[in-house]
Parts: sequence; structure tokens; C-alpha cells
Amino acid sequence: MTDTTTTADAAYGCSDFRVSRRSLLRGAAAITGAAVTTSLIGDVFTQTAYGNVVDGNVMVVVSLRGGADGLSLVVPHGDPAYAPARPSIGVPTASLLAKDAMFGLHPAFAPLLPMWNAGTFGAVHAVGMPQPNRSHFAAMEEVEDADPGSAERRGWINRMVGLMGTPDPVRAMQLGNGVVPTALYGSEPTVALDNLNNLALPAAAGSWATPTRQSLSAAWSGVDTALGRGALSALDVTQRLASLSVMQPPANGAQYPATALGKALGETARTIRANVGARVIAVDCGAWDHHTGLGSIQTGQLRMNADDLAKSLGAFFTDLGTTASRVTVLTISEFGRRVAENGGNGVDHGHGNCMLALGAGVRGGRYTAQWPGLADGNLVDGDLAVTTDYRSVLSEAIAARFPEASLPRVFPGFTPTPVGVF
Amino acid sequence: MVGVTIAPTPLAMPIPAVSERHMLNRFSFGCTPELAAEAAAAGGPHAWFEQQLAPSSIPDGFAGGMVSWWPRLAMDAADLQAADAAGTLQGLEVSADLVRWTLMRRAFSKRQLLEVMAAFWLDHLHVRVHDFGSWAVRIEHDTLVRRHALGRFEDMLVGAVLGRALGCNLDNSKSTAKHLNENLGRELLELHTVGREAAYTERDVLDSPRILTGYRVDRFNTWDAWYAPTDHWVGPVQVLGFTHANSAPDGRPVANGLLRYLARHPATARRIAFKLCRRFVSDAPSDAVVAAVSQAYLASGTDIAATLRTLVRHPDFELAVGAKTRTPVEECIATWRALGLRPTKPTRSSDFALYCAYQVDAAGQSPFDWPRPDGPPDTGDAWSSVSRLLSAWNLHYRMAGSQLPTTGVTFRTPQSWLPPLPATVGEIIDHVSQQLLCRHATTRLTSVVAQRIDLPATTTIRVFDDLGTWRVARLLAAVLDTPEHMSR
Repeated sequence: MTDTTTTADAAYGCSDFRVSRRSLLRGAAAITGAAVTTSLIGDVFTQTAYGNVVDGNVMVVVSLRGGADGLSLVVPHGDPAYAPARPSIGVPTASLLAKDAMFGLHPAFAPLLPMWNAGTFGAVHAVGMPQPNRSHFAAMEEVEDADPGSAERRGWINRMVGLMGTPDPVRAMQLGNGVVPTALYGSEPTVALDNLNNLALPAAAGSWATPTRQSLSAAWSGVDTALGRGALSALDVTQRLASLSVMQPPANGAQYPATALGKALGETARTIRANVGARVIAVDCGAWDHHTGLGSIQTGQLRMNADDLAKSLGAFFTDLGTTASRVTVLTISEFGRRVAENGGNGVDHGHGNCMLALGAGVRGGRYTAQWPGLADGNLVDGDLAVTTDYRSVLSEAIAARFPEASLPRVFPGFTPTPVGVF
Repeated sequence: MVGVTIAPTPLAMPIPAVSERHMLNRFSFGCTPELAAEAAAAGGPHAWFEQQLAPSSIPDGFAGGMVSWWPRLAMDAADLQAADAAGTLQGLEVSADLVRWTLMRRAFSKRQLLEVMAAFWLDHLHVRVHDFGSWAVRIEHDTLVRRHALGRFEDMLVGAVLGRALGCNLDNSKSTAKHLNENLGRELLELHTVGREAAYTERDVLDSPRILTGYRVDRFNTWDAWYAPTDHWVGPVQVLGFTHANSAPDGRPVANGLLRYLARHPATARRIAFKLCRRFVSDAPSDAVVAAVSQAYLASGTDIAATLRTLVRHPDFELAVGAKTRTPVEECIATWRALGLRPTKPTRSSDFALYCAYQVDAAGQSPFDWPRPDGPPDTGDAWSSVSRLLSAWNLHYRMAGSQLPTTGVTFRTPQSWLPPLPATVGEIIDHVSQQLLCRHATTRLTSVVAQRIDLPATTTIRVFDDLGTWRVARLLAAVLDTPEHMSR
């Protein structure tokens, strides 16, 4: 797989076109909720109103919810304090993949090793929020809002897609979960779908299609609430994503695990390939809160989750084939976990974590970290210190892949520092 | 059906005033003409509210008798475990029974305020019903929270945190002095009481689980609970302003002391007040209403009834008509109530009283199923997804058409929704609006619904068949598919 940043960037030449039509189309969409003209050419919807970039770059954000143990995923085996801190759950050095003097990957990442070796999969360590926040819920909100100090409830993905032209709900999507995450909250219309199979209006076949659609549009137009925006997005999506409801087998022999993540990434690949204009797709990979029963490299919850993550992502990139040249995946988790294991074969909430970056634009095949060390004196209340703000990693990805999104507006008041992963 | 006319049911009671409907929509699972009549008979919305604060005084025969529909819920934990091990029942089904019973009570109990508050507190002290590590003792958490739902928060907190379900769910049951597990101790501060705004330190977070050591449960076996002094961490402790020498192996007085201290902490008062206002006033309640409710909570010694009285009497409450988005669970239940569905004792999985759990799940949410200990989100932002809207609209139509649930349920007849005929389409829409939404149809609603059934509002309907069963289903669904029904 080759890095096609240069080619993809050339596609952004039409940004003026998008801006000039913005207000006109915003008005039209508000009135009818579905005033977007789409034409079906083969399997591909071509946007004629939103001005979306065809074949635009896509970011897939995989949220490892619950606080993934970054020290088990990207293992600092070269740090002399690592093994003693984790006598029963430590990942043995001999089992690690893609080892360098300090780090190695959990053996579950075997399906992604070809990407690592090809330089399209890399890892950043000791990354997180600048201030420790070991609360799941507050941390998750803070990570996804990413605008500390502002009272406005608006997520960074909502801000990001708001900078990309005429409002278009499908530009930012969450797949696999119908509960809207904080990262998508805000004034920009977005889409959250638990699956792509039920995209029909009720009893709207044949001659009932028009009265049903018009009636629902009239009921919800001008309702200036999140529910109102959701309703208009729903009316829009039932037209534009209808072709995606048809189950298609994955391409290139890709085999997704039969998990929620596998299913969501399969639908993500279908959505990207259909070129409907999705630019940021959020996917949940839940249940990483391993206070107990984290397990060993053979069995246990961490192995199970890491297997799911690696196999699902491996299948995703196989499925995408050449389309992968415009798709970048980032993993994000609200916090890392305690360095020392607890009494329950697990680890409690911590601070610093790792982020994984895969796909287009990634300078992979290597670990990027200003490693603070795991010796007692280097820890923050028993946790890995954070030396890289997670927003610096996101900023680098956005700058490399979405130059039209102004960083100061995605992360207000934040000055990114170079990380070197893109 | 051609030529058959059936006498319509005229609307028996007047529609409630806006303030009355508002109170009933906030403190029940959906205003109905029947509920409005009950409130009117009680002497108005505030008198109804007072009556509801004493649930044991409200006869509740139908919903009260439903518990016998799920006999597995009466089994004790050791028997459940043994039956699960023997393969004669499945733990998942026991959990599902609790969800079903909960849904049916919320929909059909006359003690609506109790149901609304039990739902609130069970979200606040969330224990996932499908948790493998606590499934056999989950029901006692429900029982405990319901007992205190209109009592004192302090008592509810002590009972819940030291109870088996939360203890198992958040790992305290295996936390010992030697192998401390801080899960429950941390969430106690962050989620159940003071919250992060209290600016507690990691030192506080360490002492909180230390104080809670000793409460053990024989999980996956008898599920018996016992206090193990040898597992209790001994030594001086400090959590915020609570200090104790904690020198005795029996740390139960210390744990009780900490929980009662936390329950009465001003930061807990603010947090509980904020969450109550967020649920019953608006997504972003004013500082003024939160402060007033918080003050009432503290002044009353964490008395929930006194706290709620202050909330409903605050001017912000009256101003917030329709400001809350119904969650999928709330909306599904409100739809059952509005359409007048009634369950019969279930015998098969397609029956309403069993199928209800799948139906809310299809709507996008299931009670007690949120995957994390913070409980489900309580703002419209979270429940406004494309999936949620499409699911709701499709469910409305199938329920309005008496298609779902398929068995174990009675529906009103399509004819019963209509006023005496002949009537215009506009008059019919208004008549249905009064029944489903407890209000007259606006011109906008009239035009929306007329458009949906593809008939001008001025059309005269002389006999039922001029509309027909499926147009009535479309008409009912169109009324339910609106912001009016999907908000409260």
C-alpha cells in the first residue's frame, strides 16, 4: 500500500466552490430536510449539492472505551520497571512482535504485522490528556469535547466537519452504535447508526413514499434541537444511503470477526467505498475497563479484545484494498491504566496511554515516544506520565489528511507540538 | 369490513391544562387522558404529585400482581446459581425477566412517580443487569433502590454501596487489604456522590476503597455476603473532610460513617440536584434551580420528597414544557400508554409482557443495559441519532397498526380512535391528538397528519371505511412521529 497523500490533496482544489454554495444549500436543507439531489450511477451516489469531495480522505476513529491498558498493547519491555510491576499480567518479552530495544507489540497484533512492516502502522506512547483525569466519564467527555474551558457542548469531530463545507450529515458518522458520542455532539448535523440495514421510512413504499417523506419533513423542519437535526438527517440518509442497506460481502476475501467491532468496520468499509461523502467515521470498540481478569497473553479479556481489534482492523484494510490509500485509522482511549497490577489480576485507572495509527499518511513501522520511564520517581500517582498531548497526534493527522480543517478551530486554544507519526 | 360501522368511543374527559400535562409528562411515563382524569380528581397537578409521594396509599392491583408472571424473580441467589449450573434456567433469562417486569411496571403501575424515581435512581446507582459477576443478586439492588426511591438518599446510598449487587458489579467483593481493588471506591466518589467537581485527590481515592474492604461475597456459588475483619484495611484514613483512625478490624462503622458523610456533602447535593434538574427540568438547567434543589436536599437531610417538592415549585420547572427529549425507553413506554396497549399473563416469547424487552431494544435502548457504571446519558444530544429516529418511526407504525406485539396483548380497535362520524379529517386529527398527546392539534400538526394520510383536512369521512384500518394506522403513527410525542 502506498502513501498517496499528494494525489489526495490535489482533490481539495474545489474548496471555494463548496464555500460559495454553503449558505444557499444550508437554507434549502433546512426547509425540506432532504433537498439534496443525488443520482445513482451504478453503486455510487454522486453528490450534486453538498459539494463533497469524491474520493476524499477519510479518518476512522476507533474508541477503545473503558480505558485500554496501553502498557499491554504496546509493551515497554525495555523499561526495567515494567516486568516487576506486573508479575502476573506482564506481557513476556519473548512473545512480543516488532520489538525494538524499548517497545514491542502484543502478540495479538500478528494480523497487522504486515502493515507494520510496510510502514503503514505505527504507535505513539505516553500520550493522553495534559492533566490526569482517571474518571472514565469525565475523561471521555473531555477527550471527545477537546475544548477545555469552553462551556459549549460540542465535540471535536463536529467542529472538524463543520469546517468542510455545506452541512452534510453523512460527513461525520458513527457506525455500530446508535447512541451519539460526545465527539459528534453539536450544531453540525451528523449520523449515528447502529447498523446499515434499517434505513427505511415506515410504510413508505410506492405511492406512499412522497406523502410520508413530505409529512415527516414538515413535522420536523425548523425544530432547532438535537432531535430535530437527527430527524432531518434521518430523512436525508434514507435516500442517500439506501443502497448501503443491501448486504454486500467484503471485498478481497476479507474476513471480519463476528464481533460488534468487526461488523461496524465492515459497514465502515462499505460506506467509504460507496463514496457518499463520509469524512470522519467513529467506531466504538468497547469494554476495556479491566480492573479484574485482564488475563495472560493466551487467555483473558485483554487478549480477547486485542484479537478483536487486530483482526477487525486487518480485515478492514484487506476489504478496502486500494481504497485504503485515502483512509487513516486512529485509536483513542480515555486514559491508560495503572502501571502496577492490582489484587484482581487487573489494573486500575491510570493516565498515559498509547495511540495506534494505521493507513494513509502514517509514518509507521516504528514507535514514537518521549518515554518518561516507569521508575517510581517518574510516575504520576503510580501512572505513566503523559509526554505527548493526544490533540497533537490528532492535529498532525488532520493537518496531513484534511488541510481544509483549520486546527485552531478544531482544537481552540491548543498549540500542537510535532509528533512525527504523520 | 365494507359497510360496517362501529360506534366510536367519544372522548370522556376534557384535555388537561398545559401545566397539568407538563407535570404528568415529567412524573409519569406518559400523560394519557386517563391519567389526566386521575390528576383532576386528586385536585390538580400538585395535589396529584403529593398523592404520588405516598405510593403505598395508591391501589395498584394490576401492576402489583404482575410479579407472579416472572416466578424466577422470586428465587434466591443460591437457587438461581444452582439452577444455572444444572442447566434448568439461564442467567440471561433471569436478567431479562427483571427488565420485562420493570418495563411493565413503568407502563402500567398507578404509582407512576415511584416508577419514575426508581428509574432515576437506578440510572444513578447503575448496575448493569447482564453483568455476569452480579446477575444472581441484581434484583435486590432493584428492591433496595425502589424502597428508598422517595425516602432518603443517605439510606439508599448506604444500602446500595454495601449491598451485594454493587459490591460484585464494581469488584469490591474481592477487594482486600492485601489486594486492594479501587473500582467501587473510586466510582463512589465520582459517580455516586461528590463527583469530580469536589476536587478530591488520588489520596482520597485510595482511602475510599480501603474503607470499603471487608465486604465479601461468595460469588458464583452461594452468593452469601459476609464481613471479613481480616480483609479490612486498618489504619488512619481521610476522604475529603472525613477522617477516622480506623484502627479496628471491623470497619463497618467507618464505612457507614464515610457513606453518610458523602451523602450529606455539599458537592453531592449539587450533583444530585443537577442530575434531578437535568432529568426533570431541562438538559442545561439554570444555576438558580440547581442551587434551590441542592439547598432543599441538604436542609432536609437528603430527603427525596422534600427535594422534589422544591424542584416542581421552582419557576424554571413550569417554563420547561416539552424541553426534554424522551429516551428510547421512555418513548416506547409512552407509546404503549398512549395507544392503550394492555398485556395479559405471558406464556410465550411473542407475548407483550415478554416481547417488550426486545421492543425497547429495537427502539435503541434497554433498561439497565448501559455498558459503563455511569448510567445512560440523560440529554437529547445522545438520543437524537438517525438510528433512533428511524427505529421510533417504524415502531410507531407497527404498534399503531396493531402489528407489534403480536400476542399476549390487547389493542384498541381502529374504530375506537374516531369521533362520531361524519367528521372532517381535520376534526378526526384533533380528536386523535387529544387522545395521544393530551392536547388539541395545532394547524401544523393537522397539516402534517393530513399530508401523511394523503387526504385534505377538509375531507368529510362519513363511515369508517372511508378511512379504513390502514389509514387509521398511518394517522396514529403520524401523530406519534412528531416532536410533540418524542419530547416530554
